[in-house]
Amino acid sequence: MSLFKTLKNGAAAAASSYKLILLIWVTTLVLTLAVGFPLRSFLNMMFGSSLAIERLNDGFDLGIAGDLGKSLGGLMASVSAGTMLISLAGFFIMTFFAGGLFRRFSLAWGGLKVSDFLRASAGNFIPFLKIALLMILIIGAYTFVLIGIPVIAGLIASGSPRQNGKFFYLFYVIWALGLPVWLFVADASRRWIAATGSRKVFRALGAGFRAIRERFWHSYLTVLAVIIFNVIFIAALMWFAATSTPEKGIMVFLFFIATQALFIIRLFMKAWRYASVCEAVQQVKS
Amino acid sequence: MKRILLVFMCLLPFTAGGQVIVDKPLSARLTGYDIDVTLDPGKHTVSGQMTAWWVNHSSMPVGEAMMHMYLNAFSSNKSTFASGGRWSASGDDGWGWVKIKSMRDGSGNDLMGSCGYVAPDDGNENDKTVLRVVLPEPVAPGDTLVLKIDFISKLPSPIQRTGYDDDFHFVAQWFPKFGVYETAGMRQRETDGWNCHQFHPNSEFYSNHSVYNVSVTLPSEFVTGSGGKLIEEIDLGGGLKKEVWRAEDIVDFAWTAWPGYKVVTRKWNNVDITFLTSKMGLSKAENHLDAVVYALEYLAARVGPYPWPHLTFVDPPLSGSGAGGMEYTTLFTTMGGGAVPTFMKMPEMVTIHEFGHAYFMGILASNEFEEPWLDEGVNSYWEQRIVDHYYGGGYGLVRLPFLKMSDTDQGRLSYISSSNRTIASNDLPSWMYPHGTYSMMSYNKAATWLHTLQGIIGDETMDNVFREYYRRWAFRHPSGRDFISVVNDVVKKEHGDRFGENMNWFFDQVLYGKGECDYRVSGITSFRIRSYSGVVDGDSVTYARSDRKSDTLYISRVSVERLGEVMLPVEILVRFDNGEEVLEKWDGKTSYKDYEYTGARKVVWAKLDPYDRIDMDVNRINNSWTLEPNRTATRRMLNKFVLLMQMMISIFTL
Repeated sequence: MSLFKTLKNGAAAAASSYKLILLIWVTTLVLTLAVGFPLRSFLNMMFGSSLAIERLNDGFDLGIAGDLGKSLGGLMASVSAGTMLISLAGFFIMTFFAGGLFRRFSLAWGGLKVSDFLRASAGNFIPFLKIALLMILIIGAYTFVLIGIPVIAGLIASGSPRQNGKFFYLFYVIWALGLPVWLFVADASRRWIAATGSRKVFRALGAGFRAIRERFWHSYLTVLAVIIFNVIFIAALMWFAATSTPEKGIMVFLFFIATQALFIIRLFMKAWRYASVCEAVQQVKS
Repeated sequence: MKRILLVFMCLLPFTAGGQVIVDKPLSARLTGYDIDVTLDPGKHTVSGQMTAWWVNHSSMPVGEAMMHMYLNAFSSNKSTFASGGRWSASGDDGWGWVKIKSMRDGSGNDLMGSCGYVAPDDGNENDKTVLRVVLPEPVAPGDTLVLKIDFISKLPSPIQRTGYDDDFHFVAQWFPKFGVYETAGMRQRETDGWNCHQFHPNSEFYSNHSVYNVSVTLPSEFVTGSGGKLIEEIDLGGGLKKEVWRAEDIVDFAWTAWPGYKVVTRKWNNVDITFLTSKMGLSKAENHLDAVVYALEYLAARVGPYPWPHLTFVDPPLSGSGAGGMEYTTLFTTMGGGAVPTFMKMPEMVTIHEFGHAYFMGILASNEFEEPWLDEGVNSYWEQRIVDHYYGGGYGLVRLPFLKMSDTDQGRLSYISSSNRTIASNDLPSWMYPHGTYSMMSYNKAATWLHTLQGIIGDETMDNVFREYYRRWAFRHPSGRDFISVVNDVVKKEHGDRFGENMNWFFDQVLYGKGECDYRVSGITSFRIRSYSGVVDGDSVTYARSDRKSDTLYISRVSVERLGEVMLPVEILVRFDNGEEVLEKWDGKTSYKDYEYTGARKVVWAKLDPYDRIDMDVNRINNSWTLEPNRTATRRMLNKFVLLMQMMISIFTL
């Protein structure tokens, strides 16, 4: 089966799971709003009835930081704590929902009820969590070897990690090109857990490595293609969000709708990767 | 006349060859140095001979000379400069010092026996940065003291302002140099005497404008730069060369040598600009050169001409970064900023700041030790104006769609966010600022109140103040009082008594006082007049019952307060619900004031200091009050925060 067909089938599978994706979106929205609303109230309280809040209209004016005085410290601490909380909770939530999504994509063509989705998410949570932690360790070590060691060596040798810029860019490129391998292994391992119902994490990882070895280029290019699309989309989304400064109330609301719609597409694109990997593994087996 | 002739005769031998760089002497040239040295890059020493001369321009005989021996600040960690763990040698080879091997006067008298170190600032017996030379015969008024000195200077490591790292050498504060002999009346001084301070961690400049003829012998592979103009480069053979520089009317002479320098040049009007950088720094060379040209252009238009036809600046390599951010008038050092993203203008800011010292300390040679605000504060003020003028549309330091910061606000932020901002007045000597407040006070508080002064007297008057300051004091030694006198004269000339008899009231508060400035709008109230309604007919209001809703009258009150001790005139812009605006002017002297408005309109908001002229106000959040807060910005920020968090958890989870 061609790479294009794998990607197309993966996209179709992801699109057909729109209810599940919307459920994930709602969960992330509730989580982030739970932290974001108090922060907004805090910020409003700091400015009170002052017109100085207008200095935030055209981007955040750092010059106002000193005027906020000690309350700025409180705001920064709250933002840091909120970010940490969201990161931790978000990690668990996304790991949880990945269990349901992989179950959905490892099934033969057909839907998965939300209740079955949640059941599968709960059932797969522990092994998925272990796989996620192991893969993070592996990718961390991979990053250290390819980027950390050369940077440290360069620093020791020349006093500056930038002394040989082009040389280091080569390592960054190699690192980026290698990343799809690890993502494929992580996804294929989780697909194995979802498909077999086994809880054996290391066997799952073995299955993941076997899967990529059996049809390497097809598997690798599948993930690489999805990642390229994802990177371009994320960059465009972040640029749009960073540079947009709607000033009227209705425009702010529309901005919210637009950014959330784009985030839903981002979730779809992540599900697309899961589905495409499942599709690619399925082809190996068949 | 006889005295002038005598001075001329004395100076003649030292100005042989006439004017080499500038058309005519810019300064009184009371001191001069002919130096011939050799750099030993292996031992990191500079050794040779010098002839130094000083003209007694006072009306009294002078029986002693005082000289800076600043490299001795690095000779032990008990010097005033290095004590308190501020600097220590990197090893046995790291110590720096300057030793005089022989010293004779013009008549050949040996002066070695009459030299001794003194510590006029703190009495530190371990500090050997000021040398007192008792002369066998007093120097008569108009006479010239000539000293012939054999000396050797060892550069320190790690570099702090001056020193070496491997084959990189930055040679500053390296030779015995005269202090400034001040006559009574000069800088409000009561009696004649030498002004020669020790080398301090926060200040090092107060010298006469001098003529320098400097020859350096060094290995041919070294690329050099200096505060002088290269007159001649002689190939000595055997891998050695001699470089001959001349500098006129500058307060200090420094130079640098490193085989790794890349040289980039540019010409602006009649000024040859030379930029020395490392290979890594080449990518930012044009940015730095642009910054220098901006500063030249801006200061020449608003302060006075840059009088020298040459300017060299240096971006030291990373290993020599301790030499970065220093000023020697026609030579200065910046920071490369190779790793700094291009949207951040910190490297350009440093370049503009250090160049600015050519004016504020170089041309207008104030005493950095005793009045650092007149050097660093005034220079920071101009740096902020230049950076915000040329970059980022008023947000010179950072301008991104979602983040911005002006250089002026960066300086103000340092001042207003300091918990020690009222701990001392702004007129202390550099080493007397308590609790590490030197930088905040000397650079940022002073720049902030200079911006405030500009806000009060206006942009054009402020520029005229500096034009007059330059006209009166270029190539002389102004004091803070002299600057204030210029301000008073110019403001009086342009505004009459609008700000009072003089501007001393301003300086008494911001420079010589410790108080802070904080005004606020404490509230807005609007009451409907219930007993009667008014009938509005043209400009007249008749109090009578009326059924027309549009005739309803309101009493609106805007309450303003002065929370700080500093009293400055401020404006209050009041906006009504019918779109009308009223600009009130308050002298700001009472602790509060109410403004009442009766009419068919209600106050919607009030903004104190609406055009942000009072930079000294430590809290601008409380400068306004609105009955209709616009929360759009925080709603938008919430949206962005939510999206950012969602993206973060979707990207960083597998």
